[in-house]
Amino acid sequence: MTNSAKTEGRIHRLLAMLPWVIANPGAHVDEVCRRFGYTRPGLVKDLNTVFVCGLPGYGPGDLMDASIDDDEVTVEMADYFSRPLRLTARETLGILASAKAVQSSDLASSSLDGAVAKLERTLVPDAGDAVVIDLPEPPMVGRMRASAEAGTVMRIDHTAIASGVRKVRDVEPWSVFTTLGNWYVSGYCREAGAERVFRIDRIRTAEPTGERFTPADATARTSIRYTPGDDDVSATIRLDGTARWVAEYYPVEVVSEGAENMTIRMSASDATVIARLLIRLGKGGTLVEGDEVAAATERVRGRILERYSRRARSD
Amino acid sequence: MQRVIERILNLLAFLLTVQRPVGADEIRNTVAGYDRESDVAFHRTFERDKALLRSLGIPIEREATDAFEVEFGYVVDDEEYALADPGLTDEESVALSLAVQAVGFGGRSFAEGALMKLGGAASSAGGTQLGADLGERADDVAAAFEAISERRILRFGYRGTRRRVRPYGLVHRRGHWYLVAEEGDGDVIKVFRLDRASSLEGEDPKNAFVHPEGFAPADWVAKEPWEAGEESTIATVAFDREVAWIAEREMGQRAAITPAPDGSIVAEIEVASPSAFVGWILGFEDRAEILSPESIRDRLVSLVEAR
Repeated sequence: MTNSAKTEGRIHRLLAMLPWVIANPGAHVDEVCRRFGYTRPGLVKDLNTVFVCGLPGYGPGDLMDASIDDDEVTVEMADYFSRPLRLTARETLGILASAKAVQSSDLASSSLDGAVAKLERTLVPDAGDAVVIDLPEPPMVGRMRASAEAGTVMRIDHTAIASGVRKVRDVEPWSVFTTLGNWYVSGYCREAGAERVFRIDRIRTAEPTGERFTPADATARTSIRYTPGDDDVSATIRLDGTARWVAEYYPVEVVSEGAENMTIRMSASDATVIARLLIRLGKGGTLVEGDEVAAATERVRGRILERYSRRARSD
Repeated sequence: MQRVIERILNLLAFLLTVQRPVGADEIRNTVAGYDRESDVAFHRTFERDKALLRSLGIPIEREATDAFEVEFGYVVDDEEYALADPGLTDEESVALSLAVQAVGFGGRSFAEGALMKLGGAASSAGGTQLGADLGERADDVAAAFEAISERRILRFGYRGTRRRVRPYGLVHRRGHWYLVAEEGDGDVIKVFRLDRASSLEGEDPKNAFVHPEGFAPADWVAKEPWEAGEESTIATVAFDREVAWIAEREMGQRAAITPAPDGSIVAEIEVASPSAFVGWILGFEDRAEILSPESIRDRLVSLVEAR
């Protein structure tokens, strides 16, 4: 963190702590620390700073009074800092969006509903309904979340997005999270003998095996990023104007870009993923390089045309 | 840093008590911490201090100190300084603290500062982690929200065009942020994907429009990509047994499902964007088949035949 960011953080905390302590004289030092994320020495340091600040003249009658006696925190002579600061637009959005994300999950509570209603009424009276967060949870989310908390091993029936392969696996769920519109569970997969991340909407059923594991206290993973592996296949594709969204939507490497079209390189754990994309693009995307993807595309194309030709034959 | 913090506290204490615009010279001569600076150093320090206070949301305005507008000074807008107390109960504060812990933007929370201003985290007890991430574009979403809440016209670049809109709402759906706004003189509501917008900027002045009564931004953003379009038709699709459950989950209540004895299903669903719908169906490869209408079926077949 830069020096100025640290300074800003300290002043932010001070100007939040002061009104609360002024409104709650004699609060226990532990509570002040807990509420505002202070260590005890950190709080003492900030109160000592308050003690030497105040109004021009800067004599004993002009400075603020701040003390900890018998673990009770008191600040006096500081009426001008008694009002909490207004939230910035960014802070208002942050807290409203966080609260509404939880509201749209099965962790919603009536206390949270009450808090959101009050925040909307006081912070954004004009545009309270302006922010909508929609994070629908697929059926197995609650079950996976509960097993991650309790440390129960789950037997899941999972179908991989890329390959379409369906497998029953025993997993030790560590954390459940949502990002980019999908829900995931990360954990130890006993089948693979390694950490794996599964999309929860592709878990058809999940049942406890009756075994338990010790939940890992590693920081919960809340993001997913595709990292190319050794077994991955890659392809070079030329995109015309109608297919340019691919470069925004997927993690790709732009090889070259012209006014009419662009050339990208992308990789995936399974050639079928890129094959499906190519078919979807139709004439908008042309495979420039990638033998495995070319073969996979022909296979998928053949399978689909075979199915669609059945009705024509039977007519 | 210690000196900086003392000086800024002194400056703010002074501005909050004088309640009149004070010139830079008066501040320099009155507020402890500024006196020993050279002219250049003073102005640099003073500018930095003002910027820091403003970034915390403190409204420091520049106003004339005399009727002839010869001299200017600085004043904290008393109305805009303080938080209107929402009157949260302890339970409500706890619920908010947990929500702030659970949700991030690109891996970071930016609601912790808000929580502190609201009286701090009422509970540090780790609750259930929701683990929701609302994306990387926190700055753009915040800029759009600021324009919505301050009712400013919003300007931005969008796929090579320049837009000027009256912003009404933000919807996070399917992992993307959408801006719902009115553009032009008529009442044309448009939906923009924020990750495709750039250089968002709210125009002066504030309060440039009124939010329409009872406006529901979510109604304007399609739940599924194939629902985004002007006119819709009903499509009938057969899904094989292995994928029927996946299709049912993704279509939710919006499809009429007829199950067959072999475990396959036939679904009737409203489609407004055939190209998005065909893209979705292609994900099932040969385990799904569009039965009708012919136009959407042909669209899929010609896409598969194209090379």
